[in-house]
Parts: sequence; structure tokens; C-alpha cells
Amino acid sequence: MALLDVSELDAGYGDLQILEGVDLTVDDGEYVTIVGPNGAGKSTVMKSIFGLTNYMGGSIVFDGNEIHGYRPEDIIQTGVGYVPQNDNVFPSLSVMENLEMGAYILDEVPESRLEAVFDRFPILDERREQKAGTMSGGQQQMLAMGRALMLEPKLLMLDEPSAGLAPDLVDDMFDRIDEINDDGTAVLLVEQNAKEALRRCDRGYVLVQGQNRYEDDGDALLGDEQVRQDFLGG
Amino acid sequence: MSTGNGRDRLSNLTAQEAVGGILLLGIGILALDLIRLILLNELPFGRLLSYTWNGIVDSLYIGLAAIGLSMTYSILRFANFSHGDLITTGAFSGWTVAYLIGGIGVADLSSRLLLRADGGAQPGAVGMDVLSAPLTIVLGLIVAALVTILVALLIDRLVYRRLRDAGGIPLLIASVGVALALRYLIAFVYTTDTRIVVASPPQPELAELVAIVGLELPAFLAERTINLHEATLVISALALIVGVHLLLQYTKLGKSMRAMSDNKDLALITGIPTERVIFATWVIGSGLAGVAGYLIVLDRGQITINLGWFLLLLIFAAVILGGIGSIYGALAGSLVIGLTINLSLVWIPSDLNEIAAFTLMIIVLIFRPDGLFSGVETA
Repeated sequence: MALLDVSELDAGYGDLQILEGVDLTVDDGEYVTIVGPNGAGKSTVMKSIFGLTNYMGGSIVFDGNEIHGYRPEDIIQTGVGYVPQNDNVFPSLSVMENLEMGAYILDEVPESRLEAVFDRFPILDERREQKAGTMSGGQQQMLAMGRALMLEPKLLMLDEPSAGLAPDLVDDMFDRIDEINDDGTAVLLVEQNAKEALRRCDRGYVLVQGQNRYEDDGDALLGDEQVRQDFLGG
Repeated sequence: MSTGNGRDRLSNLTAQEAVGGILLLGIGILALDLIRLILLNELPFGRLLSYTWNGIVDSLYIGLAAIGLSMTYSILRFANFSHGDLITTGAFSGWTVAYLIGGIGVADLSSRLLLRADGGAQPGAVGMDVLSAPLTIVLGLIVAALVTILVALLIDRLVYRRLRDAGGIPLLIASVGVALALRYLIAFVYTTDTRIVVASPPQPELAELVAIVGLELPAFLAERTINLHEATLVISALALIVGVHLLLQYTKLGKSMRAMSDNKDLALITGIPTERVIFATWVIGSGLAGVAGYLIVLDRGQITINLGWFLLLLIFAAVILGGIGSIYGALAGSLVIGLTINLSLVWIPSDLNEIAAFTLMIIVLIFRPDGLFSGVETA
């Protein structure tokens, strides 16, 4: 059974429906990418999984639980980590405090997880006491991922982690995601940088106007003439 | 070259910088004038000291109340106009309990229960000062905090929670309604009469106090008296402010409160139980407001239903001056406001001293529209 199984999902904001019958699965340890044009509803899929949109129908099953209707703090408990696209750190809190907040639902911050995050992102270790708001965009992105990893989620959802990064940092960011995935965490990635994302992932979805358009292995999608022409700029 | 640069810099002077310059110039002139007045002995140094002391006392109770107002703004995201009447709630509930306990056997129940609405139960007779009835006074303080917290939580449940996602303006308007309802409910029970409820404060000389611990003081300090009610206010307020600081910086709850004031949506997806943080915000903010109300009455001696409402403008001024949403800014703003309303008495009559505070606020806001401490630290 899939780790995450979204089927026939309808959702939107207020009365405005964005997603129309979206189907999506992520297996244990799998790396899945959602690409598609602006306004296709890529971010909305993630927000909907977290219960932040107006649910209109369908089901969202994570690890055997129907999580639609769960509160965000309960969804986290089931093992989903989420890094939104913008404003994904607490700017007036220190690096350390941001990570502590990531483990809020635990009684105590587990030292081992803190160490694991610091191992993965040594820059965070060096800057434990720095206010997150004073860090560069790339560092904030790492902090946001570190925060989401504090609970060792089974699935990490990343919304455009490369957005706003300097070009030489984008590759580094993709490498980090590979590492996280290699260590066994399933990844669901939404990316503007579609080619790179498809190259790296196991499987990809092309979402258009709130509906599934294509679904295949990343390489297969990259190789598909139609997909290349319509969505990857030739 | 250098003159050219100078001219460039002058022409680049923005209106904001000009206002800032004028502000600094004004403060400079007043400081020089202050020195002149003291040197010419037109202003006795002792009076300057007592203005400053009063300024600090005022800023402490303004600050206590400002913390709550600032927290509600940054975490619940609205300007809470009922905050002043939470102060009043604390004052009335705390002193009612102090009278109920302290006046047993001295005054009849109704005078005590209605806090002297009938003019009975003289404060002196009931023994309402910190030396005659220290435990009663402390008990009143605790009850003031507890009752105010309960009232605030009840109001949140009845009014604000239903409007949680309605935005700042509907909440602000609702809070004005809550303010009026709360105040006149209090008036309905306690009447609108202003009355003295605290006995005149014990004012021992400093020498007597330090003699207790076996010390001696230099002569110029020894004969100074100290108002024990004011001292109670100062010590309680400072302790609470330090307590809030420690809570915000070092506890999980405090950190989650700061996180939520930074970014509510992110707090939500990080798994911070936002309703629990809001609950804590009300408990801390309204508890401090209630204590502030109780202590103000202890210091001033009299109680009135307009106590909090009249203070609210000054509290808002302090919060805005410091950079709205930052509690450290609110505390600094309180100090500025407290000192301004008192030190301005050097030049203007006391009926007009709030003009000085609000004028200063306006000038500072033109100079720094986001307040003195904006961008330094949230919550």
C-alpha cells in the first residue's frame, strides 16, 4: 500500500475550486515530483494534504489513516513534514529555537535528531544562536528543511525549495534533497525547475489546471516529446 | 568638494530626518533648560528626583498593562480596546476580595462586597495598607489576576473566538463593544462613584527599614521616606516583567508564543497548537492587566470605573511608540511615556501633561513610523 494515497481530491479556496479530481500516490521512500504551469494547483495539493485549503471532496490517506479533517498538529503526528514556499522560518527566533519549534509536539527535543540535522546542515550548527531572519535565503531554506526533519517524517513535502536561490545554490539544494531521500525519507516535491526535478525524482506528475495530465517515471516524462514541448520548453 | 558634499547631504535630508533632527534639538534644549533651572535653583533637585521616580512608577504599571496589549496585537492580531477595562476588572475584583477578608468583623458585608458603594467601611478602619494587612493585600493581588484571566477567557470564548479569522477591524470594533459592556457591568454593580479604598500608605524613613537588617545609611538618604505602597507596586511590577521575559525567552511556551507572533500560518503547520498559545496569551496578558489595575489603586488610593479606560490611551501610546507587537518595545515605550508625563511637569501644568506624551508620540512616529524598536525583536 502506498504511503500517501490522494484520490479524486477536490479542493480550493473559498468557493473557488482549484483541484478537480487529483490522484497522487507516494510510496515508502519514493521521490515524487509535481510539475506543471503556473496556477496548475501544485502548491494547492500540498496545502490540501495539510488541511489548509477548503476541502470539497475525495480522500487523502496517509500511512493507512484518512487524514482529511485532521488538525495540522495531528497530521504532523502521523509523519508528514511540510516546508512551504515562502516565509518558512520564524525570523525573530534563533536557529536553535526554530528547530525546537519543529519538535514542538514532542515533550523534549531529542538530542539525536538535533545532531542529525546539524550533521546534514553544518551551517545551522555554526549559527545556532543567529536569528533566522538575518540569514541568507539559502540558509533559511536549509533551516526550514531542518525544522521539518526534526520529527523524522516518513514523507517530506517541499514547495519550490529552489525558488529565489542563486543559481549555484540550486544544484546544492537538489543534492540535499537527494541525500534526504537516500536516507529513506519519501519526498514530494513541487518545482518550477521542472527539468532538474524530473531528472532527480523517481516518478513525476504533470498537473494542468487542477487535473492530472501525465504521470510516469521522471526520465520517461523527460523523454516524452509532448511533455517536453508543452511543459519543459522544448 | 566638501561643501558640495555637504549641500548634497542637506538637500537629501528627508522630512523624516528633519523631524528627527527637530526632536533631538527639542530634547537637547529642554535638557539644557533643565540644567539652567537646577543651577538657578528654580527647580529644587529633590523635586526633579521625585518627578523621575513618579515617572518610573507610572511607566511600570503602564508597562505591565502594555505587555498584554502588545501580545494580543501580535498573537491575536487585533488592537484590543477592552484591555483597559480588564485593568478595571482586576482593580475591582481584587479590592473587593481584600475588603471581604480584611473587613471581617469591622464593616458589614454589603459595604465590603460592593467596595464601599454606600460609603461605609472606611479604608483606615478596615486596615487597608500593606503593613496592617500584608496577606490580605497579596491575596487581593492574586484574586485580581485570577478573576481578570477568567473574565478575559470568557470574553474570548463568547466573542473573539467566533471572530478569530475575521481580520483585525471587526475584532477591534467588537473589542470596543466589549469594553463598554464590561465597564458598565462593573458600574451596574459598584456604581460610578469614585472612592478611596486604600488607607494612606505607611511611609517609614529609609533608615528605619535598613535598621531592620542592621545597616546604617549615610545621612542624606537616611531621612528620606519611602512610600510602601509605591514600593509594593515597583517590586511586584519588576518581578512580573522579569518573569515574562524569562518565560518568553527560555520556556517552550514562550518560544511558541514568539513563533506564533512571527508567523501564525507557519506555527500551525509546524504543529504548534495555536489555540493553546492563544489561551496562554490571554492568561498572561489579562493577568498582568488585572494586577496592574490592582496596583494602581494601591498606589493612588482611589478606585473608579474609568480607571482602565482613561489609562488605555497612554498604554496604546506606549505600545505604538515602542513598535507595536514587540513587548520589549512596549516596555521601553512605557518608560518613555511615564517619564514624559512626569518630567513635563517641570514646564507645563499637570492638567496638560498628557499632551506632552502624545505630542512626543506623534513626533517619534513621523520620525520612525514603525516605532522606536521596530524590527528589533517581535514579542
